[in-house]
Amino acid sequence: MIYLDNAATSWPKPPAVARAVASALTHGAGNPGRTSHHRAMDAALTVQECRENLAQLFGIANPLRICFTANATEALNLAIKGILSPGDHVVCSSMEHNSVWRPLFALEEHGVDLSIAEADVCGVVQVDHVDRLLRPNTKLIAMLHASNVNGAIQLIGEIGRLARKRGIALLADAAQTAGSIPIDAEAMSIDLLAFPGHKGLLGPQGTGGLYVAESIDLRPLKEGGTGSDSNSPKQPLYYPDKLESGTLNFPGIAGLNESVRYLLRKGVAHIERREQLLTQRLLLGLGKIDGVTLYGPPLGSPRAAVVSFNLRGTDPVFVASELEKRADVACRPGWHCAGLAHRTQGTQQTGTVRLSPGQFTKMAEIETTLNAIEDLAKER
Amino acid sequence: MARCLAVFASLNQVALVTRALRREEVYVEMLRTPRCLSHTGCSFALGCRIEDLALLEQVCRKCKIEPGGVFEDVEESSIGLDNALLDE
Repeated sequence: MIYLDNAATSWPKPPAVARAVASALTHGAGNPGRTSHHRAMDAALTVQECRENLAQLFGIANPLRICFTANATEALNLAIKGILSPGDHVVCSSMEHNSVWRPLFALEEHGVDLSIAEADVCGVVQVDHVDRLLRPNTKLIAMLHASNVNGAIQLIGEIGRLARKRGIALLADAAQTAGSIPIDAEAMSIDLLAFPGHKGLLGPQGTGGLYVAESIDLRPLKEGGTGSDSNSPKQPLYYPDKLESGTLNFPGIAGLNESVRYLLRKGVAHIERREQLLTQRLLLGLGKIDGVTLYGPPLGSPRAAVVSFNLRGTDPVFVASELEKRADVACRPGWHCAGLAHRTQGTQQTGTVRLSPGQFTKMAEIETTLNAIEDLAKER
Repeated sequence: MARCLAVFASLNQVALVTRALRREEVYVEMLRTPRCLSHTGCSFALGCRIEDLALLEQVCRKCKIEPGGVFEDVEESSIGLDNALLDE
């Protein structure tokens, strides 16, 4: 199989990930934070090690400000619903995934004002455009780091500086960049960083997290057992307990810990360079095929490892199905859970075919995929 | 060997301090806080040697974590608040 669906979930994973998950399920009979036998304590140390490794990866000083979630969507909901109240104003981009757009849309019905900063033709939102939308009651700028539809990278560092200057919190959705593009939360003035564990971080599905800066306090999405202050009806105020009710996904976190260790050894900048080479090769090859329309930043511009295209007069679902039949290529057709982004780039009627290489993709696999698309294009 | 017990609000805090101390090659024991010191229900504690207490407090300050108290580590049945060496 040629796996070009890393934007949905990465594959393969480093072998240590599966080993850690299996070991947690086979030997790690402990629920961290709930009891005192040594397996539970060992599990707690592994969870903490994972927090520390994530903190190192993302330039975060205090690992206890990283809260585990089931995925980036839960982290984004936690951030958005935990910070915004009726009467607040929030700005997002016109490239957002539904995991940002839908919670904001839902909050609009409860008295939160939403402004959408329109992206340019490449899918990038200009900082002065965001600046013009800010109001005295703007509480949050919610912005994806890179688009899952066309790979456009937002100017998060510059938007972070603007937000910091105006006393507004910045929520960065790193669903497509965590583990693939270097992120330094403090240097980029990111107050809230939502990330999935199973994409660029190479961990198991069912893992993710939210970093909450010390200057921010969120209302929890859920209250419940934390293994702390058990006699009080009130949720603990300290982090991460405040936001982490219920048993954690320990096998998943054990796997994530191994994948983050792998990334720290390998270096995210190195991974970014490799994925850039693969992505630019895809763009170059697709650009030469008659009938192909490409979306997002042009060849040579920085982008995440996401390439969206359409073949003239051909349903993206048919293209993806043919690529699988002809060359065993796994990719994703459709709207990619991002209706707003498709509306912005003008593909709301058709969707696109999305190819997303990962760090384990081989250049030969890119060539095979390009040949299969070229053959298909000639037949249309 | 004299030992003491540092009580923390949560296991997450205990795990953070434990790992920080292990990096300094100080080996501490992660424990459930004895009932008589657990005023608010479940909490967790670190058992360490008295001579490591200063380092433990230094690590806590660095990690911005305040222990709920540090107590002489004696049999659970005889632990009382009077045993506090350092208590807020």
